Amino acid sequence: MTTAIILLIVVLGSVLFNMLSPWWFTEIASNWGNIDFAVFVTFWICGVAFVLVGLFMVYAIWKYRRRDGQRAAYEPENKRLEWWLTIVTTVGVVGMLAPGLVVWEEYVDVPDEATQLEVVGQQWNWSYRLPGEDGLLGAADARRITADNPFGLDSEDPTSHDDVLIAQATLHLPIDRPVKVLLRSKDVLHDFYVPEFRAKMDAVPGMISYFWFTPTKAGTYEVLCAELCGVGHHTMRGTVVVNEKEDYEAWLSSQQTFGDTLARPAGDVAAGQAAYVVCAACHGAQAEGNVALNAPKLTGQSAWYLRRQIAAYKQGLRGTHEDDEFGRQMAPMVATLFDQTAVENVIAYIHSLPDTPAPATVSGDAARGQALYRGCVVCHRADGSGSHGTLAPRLAGMTDWYMAQQLHNFQAGIRGHLMEDTLGRQMVLMSKQLHGDEAIDDVVAYINTL
Amino acid sequence: MAVEAQVPYQEAIEVHHPHSWVTKYWFSQDHKVIAIQYGITAIGVGLVALVLSALMRLQLGFPDTFDFIDPEAYYQFITMHGMIMVIYLLTALLLGGFGNYLIPLMCGARDMVFPFVNMISYHVYFLSVIVLLASYFVPGGPTGAGWTLYPPQAILEGTPGVDWGILTMLGSLAIFIVAFTMGGLNYVTTILQARTRGMTLMRMPLSVWGIFIATVLGLLAFPALFVSAIMMLLDKTIGTSFFMPAISSMGETLDYSGGSPLLFQHLFWFFGHPEVYIVALPAFGIVSDLISTHARKNIFGYRMMVWAIVAIGVLSFIVWAHHMYVSGMHPWFGFFFATTTLIIAVPTAIKVYNWTLTLWRANIHLTVPMLFAIAFVITFVMGGITGLFLGNVIVDVPLSDTYFVVAHFHMVMGVSPILVIFGAIYHWYPKMTGKMLNDTLGHIHFWVTFLGTYIIYYPMHYLGFVGVPRRYFANGEMAIIDSSVEMLNQTITVAALIVGIFQAVFIWNLIYSYFRGKDSGHNPWKATTLEWQTPETPPRHGNWEDKKLPTVHRWAYDYSVPGEEDDFVPQTVPQKAVQAEPQSAT
Amino acid sequence: MAEATGWRNLQVVDDWAADVEVFRGVPWGKAMMWIFLLSDTFIFTCFLTAYMTVRMTTAEPWPNPSEVFALEAFGVPVPLLLIAIMTFILITSSGTMAMAVNMGYRRRRGPAALLMVITALLGASFVGMQAFEWTKLITDEGVRPWGNPMGAPQFGSTFFMITGFHGLHVSAGVVYLAVVAWRVWRGRYEKQGYDIVEITGLYWHFVDLVWVFIFAFFYLW
Repeated sequence: MTTAIILLIVVLGSVLFNMLSPWWFTEIASNWGNIDFAVFVTFWICGVAFVLVGLFMVYAIWKYRRRDGQRAAYEPENKRLEWWLTIVTTVGVVGMLAPGLVVWEEYVDVPDEATQLEVVGQQWNWSYRLPGEDGLLGAADARRITADNPFGLDSEDPTSHDDVLIAQATLHLPIDRPVKVLLRSKDVLHDFYVPEFRAKMDAVPGMISYFWFTPTKAGTYEVLCAELCGVGHHTMRGTVVVNEKEDYEAWLSSQQTFGDTLARPAGDVAAGQAAYVVCAACHGAQAEGNVALNAPKLTGQSAWYLRRQIAAYKQGLRGTHEDDEFGRQMAPMVATLFDQTAVENVIAYIHSLPDTPAPATVSGDAARGQALYRGCVVCHRADGSGSHGTLAPRLAGMTDWYMAQQLHNFQAGIRGHLMEDTLGRQMVLMSKQLHGDEAIDDVVAYINTL
Repeated sequence: MAVEAQVPYQEAIEVHHPHSWVTKYWFSQDHKVIAIQYGITAIGVGLVALVLSALMRLQLGFPDTFDFIDPEAYYQFITMHGMIMVIYLLTALLLGGFGNYLIPLMCGARDMVFPFVNMISYHVYFLSVIVLLASYFVPGGPTGAGWTLYPPQAILEGTPGVDWGILTMLGSLAIFIVAFTMGGLNYVTTILQARTRGMTLMRMPLSVWGIFIATVLGLLAFPALFVSAIMMLLDKTIGTSFFMPAISSMGETLDYSGGSPLLFQHLFWFFGHPEVYIVALPAFGIVSDLISTHARKNIFGYRMMVWAIVAIGVLSFIVWAHHMYVSGMHPWFGFFFATTTLIIAVPTAIKVYNWTLTLWRANIHLTVPMLFAIAFVITFVMGGITGLFLGNVIVDVPLSDTYFVVAHFHMVMGVSPILVIFGAIYHWYPKMTGKMLNDTLGHIHFWVTFLGTYIIYYPMHYLGFVGVPRRYFANGEMAIIDSSVEMLNQTITVAALIVGIFQAVFIWNLIYSYFRGKDSGHNPWKATTLEWQTPETPPRHGNWEDKKLPTVHRWAYDYSVPGEEDDFVPQTVPQKAVQAEPQSAT
Repeated sequence: MAEATGWRNLQVVDDWAADVEVFRGVPWGKAMMWIFLLSDTFIFTCFLTAYMTVRMTTAEPWPNPSEVFALEAFGVPVPLLLIAIMTFILITSSGTMAMAVNMGYRRRRGPAALLMVITALLGASFVGMQAFEWTKLITDEGVRPWGNPMGAPQFGSTFFMITGFHGLHVSAGVVYLAVVAWRVWRGRYEKQGYDIVEITGLYWHFVDLVWVFIFAFFYLW
């Protein structure tokens, strides 16, 4: 009796939970309403089957519970009943499968007017490439990847020159235009997954996979990686912004092509020196940093990192949080470097300055820090030299108080608070493994020993 | 005739009688001792995996709280938990444990056909467990590639245990496969060639059928895992490029070129999908026997049940790529594999109907094994229908790699078989030890386990509907979720910890009842099958009387036969003159 | 007996459902060997499928087997000469094995043992030639498991892995044959019969058969 009642509660409770649950699909933002429909059909057929089987069992357990003098019926089989059940089940299965396959056919069959978009996965970032005016994506090869050619494109291939490179994880898409997404990976499996679009597909190294969708709702959506890709899997985020056509065109025109990056001016040290005067006030004449003015050391930092941070200030990814006092001081300074040439010049000048390790100012337990550094080592490397592959800056020999300060900022959400700042958000997730100020001091103390 | 010749030959077999403690309990050739060795080892290593799952749940419920759980450790927990549960616990316990114990007893054989090979099988299995657990003591710890061990990730930097852990894991798997093959050949040969007089295939209990087909699946599926393990070992150690294309890892170009990561996935799932049924089919079989015995009613549609097992076994070899709908393989495969996958639902559904129809007009004894069997049916139906979501290719697209998948496979091949295993242990413990397990402890254990696991996994499906991806160390700020998800995760964690802790009740029951349990007698459940008709309990080495094997006269499900005084008629009882045997056993 | 209906009419089902044993009169060892070989077939099938897959997916050209495996005879390179000899030897050994089985069932244990030894020797010479072939590939052609000068690195890796795995099977077979031959010679099976010779033969024929597939896929494709 009790058993039957509890089982009844389980069955009805499941139904009730489903009705009251606040957890359901996010609002759809693509053309794949048909996927939702297929889910809906499957859900109802399966749900009804579950409830019927459950209730039948509960009833049988209650009705035929052990009683004195009761004897079970002897009925080895019942052909008619078994055939009926088989047929009903088959009908139910066909009822789910048929619409499912029809929608899958749509999913597989990309419309002719779809524009191409290449999504490139790597540990643990997304980047994107658009075919440019010729509508063709140039050949790519993982073996050609360098710090200056992160997409591994072939400069000899004429079709690649007009390819638009979006070497950061924020992508814009025009609304109501079908997109054929071509997926590529530099290293391991990834999966480009935007829950609101419903569609997803793995990116596999050595081959190109695809799927398509049409964004139908303007807004900002988060890209997640849905295929385990190593210790940073959960930090591999990106952003897709679906724009109206005009906004999209404006964004697109501000992006660099592969040709632009090939034609990037070599920095002029002399011109850079002149521009650096503004920076020298805080960062020091030798770019050695100044703790009193909250300016970190710049020498020894790689060009791609400096370039990225300058861009981040310009785009408002950094220096916009109201509690980020020093970042907000930096933002107007960066504005003095008004174009890419100026940026390259100043970077060239910084690289011409001597690189002496910054003095240690933070004290902590380096041995404990070593254990904590385990979480940093994959991206920032064992020697703290950073890697263009993981987009991680150099740490060893850089200003330690600044690292500690930034870790605090990450933890407090002062840095990496914007959805578009995917690398910042990555550090937010990673920094949360350091529990307490002491842990931060310890890990920085260990970095000082590198 | 050969048939006539064979049985006296079996009857006359001299079993290798043990003389010392070592040969009796450690290097024993008695299938019952080997079964218990398999069982204890599997449960032991399963407890390790249980602890690992509790640690994972702690991180998921309360992120940023525990110093010792970093992403590396977390992914190591995931990998070891999954691999241990699927291979070293479920496969080993259901086939090595129950297969070994039940096959000779239920078929009426003295032992497995090659007891020596059987003994070696256990010790090789034990070795594989040692190598697996050694992962935790090698530099870098165990591999954290996930139990699917997908390359390139499994052998590249950025994954824990990439230096040593992956080698011990692959090595352990290869050793396990050797052990399984030795055991499996024995099980299959014993079932085919060493049954006693009258035990036709269509009179065998469904437990034996389930174990039989599962073992055949294992013998044909494990080769794919073996081959992929060897190839990955070569990729890792000497730099071949089977699974490795040209790769730029951490900014450096590696020496690999031209390999195919998808090849590994195909090989892995060609093993991996039948593996699901290697676990499920014995559970199907055993639960059929439990339900029939405790409902005091014959299993409904025995022949249909047998053919359903066979059909599921055959179909399980042509559905593997339903794990790969979004893997980037050619999308046309989706049509084929979605169709085969949903076809498999039909025989599976028939099994479910027959279990429930067995309860209809029965006389249900709600013993602890029966409770577990009923809980299995509920859980399995839930896990089965969510499988239809994931098998229906387009529905899989939004749900794959989310918590829906985690909830689904834990329901269907985690909790369901475990419930059957518990039921089976409560059911056969009296035969193994001569003592009954304590009923009160059994009830406590049952309700906490059943309701607890349901609370863990049922709501988890909804996390998947929301779109929360699986295998995330922490969700952090995620656009699609709000604080309600965190609350749900905490609830699940608390439930998981409670279920985990209450398994101690079960372990305690096993130990306590061994010394203090009630004597069970030979046939406490009044069951019909042969293992309850042995002359001694626990059965001696050789199982039956000297020089005389039992003779089987009827199928295994003669419960509540009209005209009989008792509500059960053992298989060894001759037919009455005119008594019509059910069609299925003609 | 109740009247048989439907699929029950099929004789085969009744046969298989017979009591005691499915394969009547088949000794346990033989049944077990058959099942083992079935399992082993899946191993080789997986290896060969993997080989075909990587051969199709690899980005670089596949070396031409008739050049790589050519052997100089009297100053002219003859394609596949060594392989032809190896294949011939292995197939011959299957013949001697079949004769050994025949002698076994006639209870002529001397000739049976002798033929098994001959089979084992042929097998051993096969393995020897394989070692020669490997040496030639490694030293003269520069083929390594991780790469080779002629093209796709998968050429070397699949070749060494699959022929190596087959070579291990042949070597194990040679040892197995030798042990059984010795026991046959000593008269150990007089009482229980000579099924063991046939069981050994099953294994040996299987290893031969696998070679035919490897031969076709590696050397003729």
